[in-house]
Amino acid sequence: MSIEVKNLVKQFNDKTVINDVSFKVNDGEVLAIVGFSGSGKSTILKLICELIKKDSGEIITPEGEDIAMVFQYSALFDSLNVADNIAFALHERKDLRNKYSEKDIKHIVAEKLELVGLKGIERKFPAELSGGMQKRVSFARAIVTEPKTILYDEPTAGLDPISSTLIEDYIVRLKEETNAASIVVTHQMSTITRTADKIIMLYDGKIVFTGTPAELLKQDTPYTKQFVTASLEGPMKIAA
Amino acid sequence: MDYKLIYKYFKQTATYKIATGILADLYVFIETIGNIAYNGFHTCKFIIKGDINFKEVIEQCYRFGITSLPITLSIVGMTSVIVASQVASEMVKQGGSNFVGLLMTMLIVREVSAVMSGFAIISMIGSSLASEIATMKVTSQIDAMKVLNIDPIRYLFVPRILAGTMMMPIIVVIAGIVGVLAGAVTAHLSADLGYRAFFDSAWLGVYMKDLGVSLLKALAFGATIALVSCSTGYEATGGAKGVGIATTKAVVWSFVAIVIWDMVFAMVFFF
Ligand SMILES: Nc1ncnc2c1ncn2[C@@H]1O[C@H](COP(=O)(O)OP(=O)(O)OP(=O)(O)O)[C@@H](O)[C@H]1O
Ligand SMILES: [Mg+2]
Repeated sequence: MSIEVKNLVKQFNDKTVINDVSFKVNDGEVLAIVGFSGSGKSTILKLICELIKKDSGEIITPEGEDIAMVFQYSALFDSLNVADNIAFALHERKDLRNKYSEKDIKHIVAEKLELVGLKGIERKFPAELSGGMQKRVSFARAIVTEPKTILYDEPTAGLDPISSTLIEDYIVRLKEETNAASIVVTHQMSTITRTADKIIMLYDGKIVFTGTPAELLKQDTPYTKQFVTASLEGPMKIAA
Repeated sequence: MDYKLIYKYFKQTATYKIATGILADLYVFIETIGNIAYNGFHTCKFIIKGDINFKEVIEQCYRFGITSLPITLSIVGMTSVIVASQVASEMVKQGGSNFVGLLMTMLIVREVSAVMSGFAIISMIGSSLASEIATMKVTSQIDAMKVLNIDPIRYLFVPRILAGTMMMPIIVVIAGIVGVLAGAVTAHLSADLGYRAFFDSAWLGVYMKDLGVSLLKALAFGATIALVSCSTGYEATGGAKGVGIATTKAVVWSFVAIVIWDMVFAMVFFF
């Protein structure tokens, strides 16, 4: 369901990390947030799912609806195996706790694992998986409740191109099938072009570009030019 | 007068630095107490509502009780050996053979079993609870839990604190029995005191009140160790260093809390 952010401001110890950011993601839309490392992309996602408190501004998300998040560093529960990680919400969440039988849950877990290309690893523990595998399990865990608002923090970072495509296709499929509103934080061109309907570029806590992937690739602003060509020359300085 | 200049120089004085240092420490101290109280309150709310994950409770009981037992029993047993070996021969020499058992059981029931078990549990279980939860915190696992709409207090705190509260009395009773037996053997070997003489007087040292207080103490210790350790772990920030700090804090605060509890019990019941 749609997410609207208005004049969002967030400071960490007097440093303004998000400085008056506004955007809207409609149902059935994927917004990509791009920008330098440290530009505040993860912070925006954490603000939206209320893991941290905003200083001012408005965040409008649908009342009482799940917001799912795929974390940048997977954040799998390392004392639980893959199956229990994915089924965690089904086992523990108040409104889902007694809804599914163990057999149903097993089925759902197997289905989600197949979807991320990791069939049959139910009994492995997170520490036994590669970084990319952890990322995909984390993806499966986030979507198990079929949320309508999904935040992805670099879902494809560190994945091989084929696994990336798998995840990208699924982001698009989820959006089309469930009309979900999603935000994808990413540095990866393939993820931007394959999934995004809209893009915002952050720099120094502000939005410096808004547009479509095609507009980004046109490179007709100093910011898009620097981003697409990955150049050290341009308005954005890495030290900022 | 140029107050700004005075202030500027005042800020460089040792007085200012020490004062702000103390204030900062005091702030952390009050914050820690506040967090412990807050988390404890929320835990109680779930327990009173009966909203409990029983599968986790059983798992944590196992961790609390079974995995720690060998070390706890050794520590209490050895403390008993140390005390008995020094006391028994002296008392026998002075004609107090009939009181060795009494003294040993009284000591063990009143203090040694609960306090030494508490210390053993802090070092084994408290530290592991704190580092476990702190690691979950600094690797975003707690955040992931919150985003999945699962209350970390219900999932992490409630089972651990219930397990601590329920298992501690059992541990203390078993440790007490082992302690008394170790005392008897030690008295026998070091002072040639007969088992019969030891146990005949040992019974005289066991009062119902002492047993009750010991069990109450065990309940309080178990709940406190679990709550303090979970809470300090939960407040951890930063990476591996944060986990280390949280673990140390859990151990130190649990130790202090237990000594304070012990003092409170002594004042209320034996003053
Ligand atoms: N809890 C925090 N306390 C203090 N500063 C923070 C905190 N979280 C983030 N920051 C700061 O906020 C800024 C933005 O961080 P954020 O994690 O949002 O960046 P990002 O755009 O996601 O970067 P990356 O691409 O590397 O993931 C950084 O300068 C970071 O140092
Ligand atoms: Mg980030």
